[in-house]
Amino acid sequence: MLKQKNVLLLWAGLQLGILLLLQQAFSGWIIGVFLLLLLYRVDSVLRNRATLSLKWVNLLAGVVAIALFVNLRQAGVLHFMLQILLLAAVARLLALQHLYEARQLVWVHYFLIGCCFILHQDMAIAMLVFGVFLLNVYSHYRLFAPTGAQLNWPQTGRAVLIILPLWLGMFLLFPRLPAFWQIPDANVAATGLGDSIDPGSIEKLVQDDSLAFRVEFDGPLPPRQQLYWRARLYEEFDGRSWHVAALPRTAARYTAPSAEADNDTATLSYRVIAEASRQTSLYALARPLSTSANVRLNAGDLISAPKPVSQRLSYQVNGIYGPPALLSAQEQQLNLAPGAGNPATKQFAAELLQQYPQPAQLVQALTEHFRSQPFYYSLTPPLLPGANSVDQFLFNSRTGFCSHYASATAVILRAAGIAARVVGGYQGGQWHPQQNYLAVRQREAHAWVEYLDNGVWQQFDPTAAVAPERILNDLDAVLPQAQRDLLNAGWRQLAFLQAARQQLMHLDYYWSVWVLGFNDNSQQQLWRQLKQQLPAIAATIAAILALLLLFAGSYLLKRRVPAGLPPATMLLQRALRPVLLLKTPSQPLSVYLQQLAISQPQHREWLQQLADVYEQAVYADRPQALMQLAALLKHRRQQIKQLRSSIKNA
Amino acid sequence: MSDLTLKQRLYQRYLAVIGRYLDKRQPPADRVTLVQKLIFILPTRYGWWFVLLITLLYLLGTNYQNNLILLLCYLLLSLFLLSIVLVYQNMRGLTLQCRTAPAGFASEKLNAVLQLSADKPHLMLNFSFMQQQHSVLMPGLSAELTLPLPAGRRGKYALPRIKISSQYPFGLWRAWSYVALAQDYWLYPRAEKMLQQHDDSPVADSGQQPQTQSGDILAPYRSGDSLRHMVWKRLARDPQNPVVRQQQFSPEAEPCWVVVTPATGEALERRLSHAAWQLLALEQSAQRYGLKLPGLTLPQSCGAAHLQRCLQELALC
Repeated sequence: MLKQKNVLLLWAGLQLGILLLLQQAFSGWIIGVFLLLLLYRVDSVLRNRATLSLKWVNLLAGVVAIALFVNLRQAGVLHFMLQILLLAAVARLLALQHLYEARQLVWVHYFLIGCCFILHQDMAIAMLVFGVFLLNVYSHYRLFAPTGAQLNWPQTGRAVLIILPLWLGMFLLFPRLPAFWQIPDANVAATGLGDSIDPGSIEKLVQDDSLAFRVEFDGPLPPRQQLYWRARLYEEFDGRSWHVAALPRTAARYTAPSAEADNDTATLSYRVIAEASRQTSLYALARPLSTSANVRLNAGDLISAPKPVSQRLSYQVNGIYGPPALLSAQEQQLNLAPGAGNPATKQFAAELLQQYPQPAQLVQALTEHFRSQPFYYSLTPPLLPGANSVDQFLFNSRTGFCSHYASATAVILRAAGIAARVVGGYQGGQWHPQQNYLAVRQREAHAWVEYLDNGVWQQFDPTAAVAPERILNDLDAVLPQAQRDLLNAGWRQLAFLQAARQQLMHLDYYWSVWVLGFNDNSQQQLWRQLKQQLPAIAATIAAILALLLLFAGSYLLKRRVPAGLPPATMLLQRALRPVLLLKTPSQPLSVYLQQLAISQPQHREWLQQLADVYEQAVYADRPQALMQLAALLKHRRQQIKQLRSSIKNA
Repeated sequence: MSDLTLKQRLYQRYLAVIGRYLDKRQPPADRVTLVQKLIFILPTRYGWWFVLLITLLYLLGTNYQNNLILLLCYLLLSLFLLSIVLVYQNMRGLTLQCRTAPAGFASEKLNAVLQLSADKPHLMLNFSFMQQQHSVLMPGLSAELTLPLPAGRRGKYALPRIKISSQYPFGLWRAWSYVALAQDYWLYPRAEKMLQQHDDSPVADSGQQPQTQSGDILAPYRSGDSLRHMVWKRLARDPQNPVVRQQQFSPEAEPCWVVVTPATGEALERRLSHAAWQLLALEQSAQRYGLKLPGLTLPQSCGAAHLQRCLQELALC
């Protein structure tokens, strides 16, 4: 078995596949080392050369393990574990000698393949991982099958037919438990909005076409102007950039005041499938009131995950439309600091305040200002170096992106004595009517402003004043062709590729909803549905069972009485079945009966009579004899019973 | 020492219990077909490792709340469960038979030839006799199988139970069966020229034994030698080494009769060995010959069947 080239090559290929699937976890030099070891192994197999001795392999593995250990801090515990596992497998393959070692190898492969799913959850790659898994199952089979055995396809097909319902049934119905303990996570850079926002940060995000999250609404799709997905609140301003405040928002679980959920406010219910972002902050519309148990509802009406989102996460939100309420005086205080510098802006704010004492009026005037003055919306605004960047933007360049407008507006409002903050999140999304979901990409990242008015945080989007198309349509609609090309670089412009990509994305969406998003809630729902359908299911199963029994019964009956027997024999066999069990197949029935008559003196008379009548019925073929036989059997029922018991006791 | 014996005793006890159970479940039969009630299935050590793997993957999947790992875990679990059926299917329907009673001399290695038949392929079956180390692995199924029988003293023995086991296809479960076939095997007495005879050439091994004046042979006493042949004088001189006067039986009187005079113990064994040797020699020379045992006489005849009959009587003597 271990001498078989193709099995060894299969394992080398498997390990190469696992290495590529796990390459996120490995830095360049580690991949290089593993590749060298694998290439050496493949080369030695192809040229029929002996590999390294066990001693050398152990030495080599030891050195690599030490190097990996030194690298531990950089790689993180999870990646270190994966590296060590793969190292063990590769080293084992290098010095494979015994059958039990091969079994260990297959075992470790199974575990490594399982670990690939920590890093990859896309459908395409998941299919690839399952492919690698099947290869490993095949090599497992080869270990225990005779040398040179071929797969028996009909048998394999039957096995798959049995496994599939068993497998899916277990997945759907087996109780799902919450996580038992904290486990190490991958060290991967976070994506999406950061902890701070400066005029340039969202521009970078906008060039990223990857998916941020997808939403499925229980009701109709809200109008586009309502689709402000709040993710982060930036409340600290240092004169140039905005930061998430250190207010303890996630410390205690925040209970939303349910009294506000009046009957007349429209409610919102939706399911979000968030992509891995390695951040805790998640996305919500307006005012969430309750969520599924896997995420937390925080003060400020934000939703966060208990730990950084390292894989797709699906959560349900129920909420209402309406502005968030002010939480505390401390929050208000925090949002009044206009930051250092920007004297011209502060001056402008003071003038506006004199003119419009009410916050609502002031905001209206500001909208007018942005709309009437020559302000431009652009992906490539000029750089604004120096301390007074807001001044430069408002009075010089007047060309910017949502973060510029939001930042400037918040500074003006704060300078005018109105508490205001920048909200980071996503706006809009691409609606797929057939699949019934909204896809929100990183390029939909957006920043807007909330200001305090009458104790609630009113939403204000200055970008909508400058470029209303951005809010009503899509980013592409706002930008000139040159800037749009910047977004759709290279192959993305090909139409058919675009369409194929779209289809794949839909498939991936169902994958996320049905496979990745399956959780204890869905399971409970499934159980409930099963319970409702219980009578129907039970009836179906009973019907199938009855049919099967019928088939089996008729088959057995057919087999028991071979066709072509004379009717007298059948009659006798039916009546005397337990007695006839002792008869050897070669013995004729009548001879056996006569023998019985001798061995059982008390039954001699009728047994001999029976034998005579039987012989007449069979050999003379007289119909009267057959009737006589039936009558005799009926008449002697009592004796047959006695005979049966006396034979049994003998 | 006591520890070892305790262990051995426990093992013996276990074997006795198992033997009783098996005898009840499957009494020896001429032909045995492996059916559900004869096949036992338990996980192998690798199977337990596989269970550990599934548990680890379940923990991993639960802790990462990762459905794909859970899917993989359940897939492995269903594979594990399915392989119970597969390993059973691989065993079921095999028919064993032992048509001819194996027979041989006690000193030789004796093999049993079993006939196997099946209506579908059975792969990687392992055959051995119960409590025997030697096993035969059959990658595919052939019609005949040769298995070495345990060595022992002369006699007629029931064929030990045959252990058939298989781990195919995944090595996660071991299915095995102890099959008892209603067949005996014969161990004839070792065929060896033991006793000096008058008509033999004196070269053979006469030098070893001191001869007395009368032509009798003096030989060291073995248990079972008749006390009437004891050389009492020598016993008085050397009580540690009793010597007997070797009884000469007289086949020359009846040249075609193999005669075994009554004896017990070691002496009987020697006589039987010699008789076996004589029988073989007579059969080879194509003479008619008969066998006289204490209490039994087989009339003169010849041929393989007659030889077999005679040797069997020797084995039972």
